[in-house]
Amino acid sequence: MDKAITVAALTVAYGAATALSAIDLEIPKGKVTVLAGPNGCGKSTLLRAIRRLHQPKSGEVRLGDLPISGLKEKELARHIGLLAQNPSAPDDMSVEELVRLGRYPHQSMLQPWSAADGEAIQAAMFGTGVSHLADRRLGSLSGGQLQRVWIAMVLAQETDIICLDEPVNHLDMAHQIDCLDLVRRLNQEHGRTVVLVLHDLNLAARYADRLVFLKDGSVVAEGAPAELMSEELIEDVFGISCRVITDPVHERPLCIPIRNSSPRFRADTAA
Amino acid sequence: MPLASSTTSIRADPRIGHRSLFAGLALLLLGLMYLSLALGYRLYSPEEIWTALTAFDGSETDVVIRDLRLPRALMAPMVGAALGIAGVIVQTLSRNRIASPDTLGLNAGAAFAVVMASGLFGVVSLPGLSLAAAVGALLTSFVVFGLAAAAGGISPLRIVLVGVTFAGLFDSFVNVVLTVNETMLDQLLFWLAGSFADRKLGLALNGLPFVVVGAALAASLARPLDILQTDDSTARGLGVPLGVVRGLAFLAVALLSGAAVAMAGPVMFVGLVVPHAARALVGLGHRLQIAAAAMVGALYTTLADIVARFVIYPREAPVGAVTAIVGGLLLLVLLRRRAA
Repeated sequence: MDKAITVAALTVAYGAATALSAIDLEIPKGKVTVLAGPNGCGKSTLLRAIRRLHQPKSGEVRLGDLPISGLKEKELARHIGLLAQNPSAPDDMSVEELVRLGRYPHQSMLQPWSAADGEAIQAAMFGTGVSHLADRRLGSLSGGQLQRVWIAMVLAQETDIICLDEPVNHLDMAHQIDCLDLVRRLNQEHGRTVVLVLHDLNLAARYADRLVFLKDGSVVAEGAPAELMSEELIEDVFGISCRVITDPVHERPLCIPIRNSSPRFRADTAA
Repeated sequence: MPLASSTTSIRADPRIGHRSLFAGLALLLLGLMYLSLALGYRLYSPEEIWTALTAFDGSETDVVIRDLRLPRALMAPMVGAALGIAGVIVQTLSRNRIASPDTLGLNAGAAFAVVMASGLFGVVSLPGLSLAAAVGALLTSFVVFGLAAAAGGISPLRIVLVGVTFAGLFDSFVNVVLTVNETMLDQLLFWLAGSFADRKLGLALNGLPFVVVGAALAASLARPLDILQTDDSTARGLGVPLGVVRGLAFLAVALLSGAAVAMAGPVMFVGLVVPHAARALVGLGHRLQIAAAAMVGALYTTLADIVARFVIYPREAPVGAVTAIVGGLLLLVLLRRRAA
């Protein structure tokens, strides 16, 4: 299996608090890898460290065989695109103006704007179905449209690897599916490597080629969703007793939560 | 420029639109600069102006036009352009559409330095006060940037908080000193209100390089400034080195506001209002926004300087008061529109 990114003995700390401890992980090329785990497990931190938004305390992240610490800012931005958690831009910015920002890593003072840039933003807007919104102000869009536009911006960056940090957080069910179907299509039709942080375990199981469970800053388990989604493991990672059945439509594991089984929460309920 | 695409946009090629827009603004500015020479306590004909500029013979008319009117006709647009550009950068840096160089405490820092120079070293001449103002604005910008950047990354919110704090501190100090010392108040009031009157041509020439370098630096940062309008994570994801860009942008603001305050004293509200007009004209891209802010700022201060000669005719109102009144009203309109 080809690897796009290797995480080797990566430790990240916020001040004295260790957020990730000695993580080893390979992100396979051309696949959708989903990082999942309970709140505060370090999944977003890991995603951001992969994109070098956190400096590791020790260990490293390699892009192919190159440590990303040696890459220039724009160089790294030509390889890895990032859709941040709750991204923001001025309400009166137009859709096209935002998507154009994605071309920044491909431009320089000497070559400000090229035909390739124009094609990339048109393709990105077309691929995400927002071409007809090009002149609209961001503030006039619905949440689902807005998220598509942000994905278009990351697409315009034309990176092999795309990292998305909880992209469906504020979306309703229809738009969650819509957004993740879009991500899936980008992966399947354009062969892009996708790394997703997802909260919702069932969405994770549905869209992941490879699922990574984190808990307390460590990788607990990784593998295909069908192998990984056992009732015991989910109880261990998420602190919830559950039944796992097979989703009859997509034939993916589906977790049905029963009750919170972590001692802390049980104590709360008892009291 | 966006490629005009038949599928996504029915606008005409925007490049042509912008070219005629800027040509129109430039013509308007030349017209106002001419009026700045012609209008005032005394009115001059085109022949008189032409003679004074090309065949100076020491007559009273020639002296007034060359030594009194010409410097302000040149200085007003420079100051306006500088403050307009500085305003654009400050609003982008702070992600706050009602921020301005005033918000960063630069004008207050300049006023503080002027009061100090006057009180401690007895400086009362205009060139001396200008130098003090420039130094004050520069030092303040470094202190504000340094404090905002200390203890972890520099954030838009910290920039505003530190700036507003320093503006308040300096303003209070200036007020206390001037309340106690009435002689100094009399001497400095004309400066503290902001004006283009009685400036020598040399002052404009001294300010020019700072304005040019500051504007060039701002223009060279146009692309990363576009991206600073998004959140920090997105900006870094696109490969913008935030610290470097913010530092350079701050330097541009310091050069531009420092030069402006040195030439005219604190001219309020220009840096606040002009960026709004610039965005309304050309959108949010900084290359055009900076150019438009320079033009609109130049128009605004030049017009305000002419108006200031007539509002309490035959005496002259401080131009800073005119820009503040007009700017304040415009701001209220903007806020109303946003709330609506």
